[in-house]
Amino acid sequence: MNDKQTDYEPPEGYRGELLERLVKDKIRTWAEIRITKGEAKYEGILLPRSLNTDDRYVTLKVDTGYNLGVFVDDDTKIEEIGYKKGKYKLPSVDAEFKEDLPNVTLLGTGGTVASRLDYRTGAVIPAFTPEELFSAVPELIPLVNLTPKTLYQILSENFQPQFWVKTAESIAKEIESGADGVIIGHGTDTMAFTGSALSYFLRNLPIPVVIVGSQRSSDRPSSDGPKNILYSARLAGYENFAEVVVCMHGGTSDSYNLIHRATRVRKMHSSRRDAFRTIGDIPLGKVDEKEITWFRDDIKPRGPREDFYLDAKIDDKVGMLYFYPGMKPDLLESMVDLGYHGVVIIGTGLAHVGTDMYTALERCQEEEIPVVMTVEPLFGYTHLRVYETGREMLARGVIEGANMLPSAAYAKLIWALGHTRDINEVKKIIQTPVAGEITPKEGPRGYLLMQGIERGIDEFLKHL
Amino acid sequence: MIDPDSLTDDDFRKLGFHAGLEVHHQLQSRRKLFCNCEPVLEEDPHNFDYSFHRYFRPVLGEMGDFDEGMLIEYEKGYKVIYYANERNTCTYEMDETPPFMPDMETITKGFILAFYFDCKAFAEEVVVNRKQYLDGSITTGFQRTFIIARDGYVPLQNGKKVRISNLHVEEDAARRVNWFDTSERTVYYNLDRLGVPLAEIITDHLDVDTPSELIETALQIGRVLRISKIGRRGIGAVRQDVNISITGGDRVELKGVQDIHMFDKYCRREVVRQHSLIEIQKEMLERGLKKEDFEHTYIDISHLFALPPKKKVFATIFPKMKGLFGKEIQPGKDFGIDIFEKSMLITGIPTDYHFHSDEFDENSVRKRNNNYSRIPINEELYQKIQTLLNTKDSDAFVVVQGSEKACMHALKKIIERVKLALDGVPQETRRVTPDGNSEFLRVIHGKDRIYPDTDTPPILIDLEKLEEWKKEVGIKPWELLEELSKRYNFTQNQVDLLIRDDKLELFSEFTDELELDGALAYTLLIEKPREFRRKHMPLTNEVIKRCARLLSKGIIHREQLNTVLEFLQENPDSTEETIKEHFSTQYNEKELEDLIKKELENLSFEDVNNKNMAFQLVLPNLVARIIGKTNNCVSGGKIAKMIENFLEVK
Ligand SMILES: [Zn+2]
Repeated sequence: MNDKQTDYEPPEGYRGELLERLVKDKIRTWAEIRITKGEAKYEGILLPRSLNTDDRYVTLKVDTGYNLGVFVDDDTKIEEIGYKKGKYKLPSVDAEFKEDLPNVTLLGTGGTVASRLDYRTGAVIPAFTPEELFSAVPELIPLVNLTPKTLYQILSENFQPQFWVKTAESIAKEIESGADGVIIGHGTDTMAFTGSALSYFLRNLPIPVVIVGSQRSSDRPSSDGPKNILYSARLAGYENFAEVVVCMHGGTSDSYNLIHRATRVRKMHSSRRDAFRTIGDIPLGKVDEKEITWFRDDIKPRGPREDFYLDAKIDDKVGMLYFYPGMKPDLLESMVDLGYHGVVIIGTGLAHVGTDMYTALERCQEEEIPVVMTVEPLFGYTHLRVYETGREMLARGVIEGANMLPSAAYAKLIWALGHTRDINEVKKIIQTPVAGEITPKEGPRGYLLMQGIERGIDEFLKHL
Repeated sequence: MIDPDSLTDDDFRKLGFHAGLEVHHQLQSRRKLFCNCEPVLEEDPHNFDYSFHRYFRPVLGEMGDFDEGMLIEYEKGYKVIYYANERNTCTYEMDETPPFMPDMETITKGFILAFYFDCKAFAEEVVVNRKQYLDGSITTGFQRTFIIARDGYVPLQNGKKVRISNLHVEEDAARRVNWFDTSERTVYYNLDRLGVPLAEIITDHLDVDTPSELIETALQIGRVLRISKIGRRGIGAVRQDVNISITGGDRVELKGVQDIHMFDKYCRREVVRQHSLIEIQKEMLERGLKKEDFEHTYIDISHLFALPPKKKVFATIFPKMKGLFGKEIQPGKDFGIDIFEKSMLITGIPTDYHFHSDEFDENSVRKRNNNYSRIPINEELYQKIQTLLNTKDSDAFVVVQGSEKACMHALKKIIERVKLALDGVPQETRRVTPDGNSEFLRVIHGKDRIYPDTDTPPILIDLEKLEEWKKEVGIKPWELLEELSKRYNFTQNQVDLLIRDDKLELFSEFTDELELDGALAYTLLIEKPREFRRKHMPLTNEVIKRCARLLSKGIIHREQLNTVLEFLQENPDSTEETIKEHFSTQYNEKELEDLIKKELENLSFEDVNNKNMAFQLVLPNLVARIIGKTNNCVSGGKIAKMIENFLEVK
């Protein structure tokens, strides 16, 4: 009982009166407790309680491993009867360095391969040591010498442009120290933004940089993460290409992954494994258990490390607006007032905004704030010379973003403004293709959104 | 081996037999538990609109441990192919979208069910848990399941209360299809059943100590699901796992038993198996065997055989094990085969390509059952293998044929299993086979495979709601039996039919409101519909209800049931008036007397010598005629009696 006195820590996640009461009785989380309420008896381990839940309940893990909550009122008796702290750790696996295997560095920015439960939020947070990684995906061991390093442990929606810079700097370090390839473990939501930024920052990239994540978190037996990381390791370690790509499931089956150019990829579904699609073009390639197939001949091969340099100057005072019917100019004007240096607008159709917006565009023009237009349809190019509206917009100085995706345009404007605030220079940078974010043409395969009624689709669905 | 059929209840008790149930009963619902798909199944689960495939991996439990059973599941290396139909699946079943909020209607039913079982401890905040399954039966790799309540019971007729330790509500798993061959590494499922809500009712393993008690427990639980109308009906709506142990053995789970009538056989055969395993354990200990005696040494003996490409044959020696692999542990099955079934399931090498040295005996179980190994080992080869392995007289050996990798894997599993034999009965989940025996399915799942579901926030259960739900609990099956047997002398079987045919409400309406007697109401509700179904004239509840009202009002008489039911079936639009005209029963004594008098007057015995005998001859006809004239509303006995009285008076 003595160490109970000295080591006592209040139960995690409990609040209010219930916390006071637990503290008074020195009841700990992970302790075995007994709750008595009239005829009802509950025995189990007191678990930490999640935030944003009712503070009058305790969470209990009973003998069968199930959890349940019990309402605690004044007549409820709680007593501690034992203690067992959980140790959440994947068994560690030793992986020896092997001379004949390629060296690949995995830079972690958020949970991909292994993760664990966060009791505070009830959500999943990454666990990310080499041991854990190899234990979760042992097939990596004979494949490459993989060195995992943690850059961040954040959800991808919490990424900031300066994190792109730090990521790029870390990649540069790996390139300098001779890595044959780099894998970036990344939350899927903003993968395309990071990928686009890295595509601009890493000049004359000599090795593959593969961004990977999982649409089903790795705490699930059905996670797509293990296959994604395995395929990424093969790409990064063995393939002759040197671009920033995203490698994620190509279909709902665990059958093949697609290799997307980071500037052309977009997350097109909130939850499916095959959410990532190349927009306006076909993907670079495909990888499955047996082989890697490349579909294009404009893929940049590996190059000399000497030519590589990092150009990660940014200006993150950039915002993005999604034009909608009824949008008032005040939004854009207030961005000017707030001191934004550049704006990307997702315009309707060919990249239009309503005439109401003209005054705000004029304001931007006067203040030499670049306004880059992209298209709300995602597929296709901006064409501001076709209609009167477009010509009016051009007259007010907007910059056509061609068929740049909004994410690619946003990252590019941040990068461009890092180099110059001269509006003409910015325009030149924006409109010059750097890493495939603008393509010279779109072929018939660039736009294949099936509607589920095409001839042959029934047969297709039988082999997803 | 004990003869399984010879075991009496007393024997079961002596052997320390204990059994528990996990009853999985589908619940009536409008939607699936975690998505909005309709819970309808395909008639033929082989039909599908779309198909995809996946692989699964074990993940850590909440306390930070890999579940042993899960690691073995992963070793099986299954590729899982899903068949699915658009009308009953969506991206949830595909594991392509997070769960929607669980169906509150179903959760409510779970709580009401818990009150039927008198549960004491409720989940006042329902926490959704994940229970890992790597066999592919659930696309997520875990089943979403939650505790509704704990500490309830069902009573048995002998006064025993079988405790219900837990009542869960959970999503059903996908349906396995194309299951022909356990050695196959590709498994198929249809997703139609995935997500259909289930109640899982778990009884305390210690409370039942004969198979008949086990059967009664299952029946009682089934009655509750029926009488409460919470359970879904139809084929496949109920599956139970049976946990069995005997003293010195361990808990073995027989998975997915649909037919309660097979319980007795399964119990007997499992008891015999465990008893045999304990005997093998004793024998091994007597022979001084220790786990270290079994070495993981696999000898390549492929050169002795003419083999197809990429196939190898490996052998391993088992010192001092002679005679034990050949010991019969279930009718028609020896210890060796029991082990080989496990090896087959994990490694994919069919049992046919496993050989153990005991099967070479003239009278071996395998030979007696025509279940030879397909590895062609003759006398000469047998000798050669013995020489190669350097076996002594008391040693046994095992041979497997397959790919090199699979052979090593299989021998590893076999050696591990033989080591376990020194501990007696391993905890296993087993699949029953049609002959009543069982084979290894997986290591029993532990609590380390349970993990809270981060996709669904906890659901608070309003304590006032709980009180409301309690009021929705109707009469319990055991209370009903007591009542009906007291009032009408009904048997359990009769009560079961009332419950099964869903006629309880009508029964109490007929007896309480219409004041029909119990036997008559039972005839009308249970017997007549069966009679008419046999005649291919199924009765609707509407016809039965009309008939009951007519009986109650005295418009018709019980002797007229058949003709009235037929009439109502054929004349659905008939009014009470027309029926009254047709079947009027208002014959008072006087009218009846007149009728009889008239009939008698029509009789003439003038030419007959023995008038009395002649009268006896025509009497049945006469009675029938009178019954007909009264439209079947007076009993024959009464008419005969009246005729006799009448004649005497005369
Ligand atoms: Zn669904």
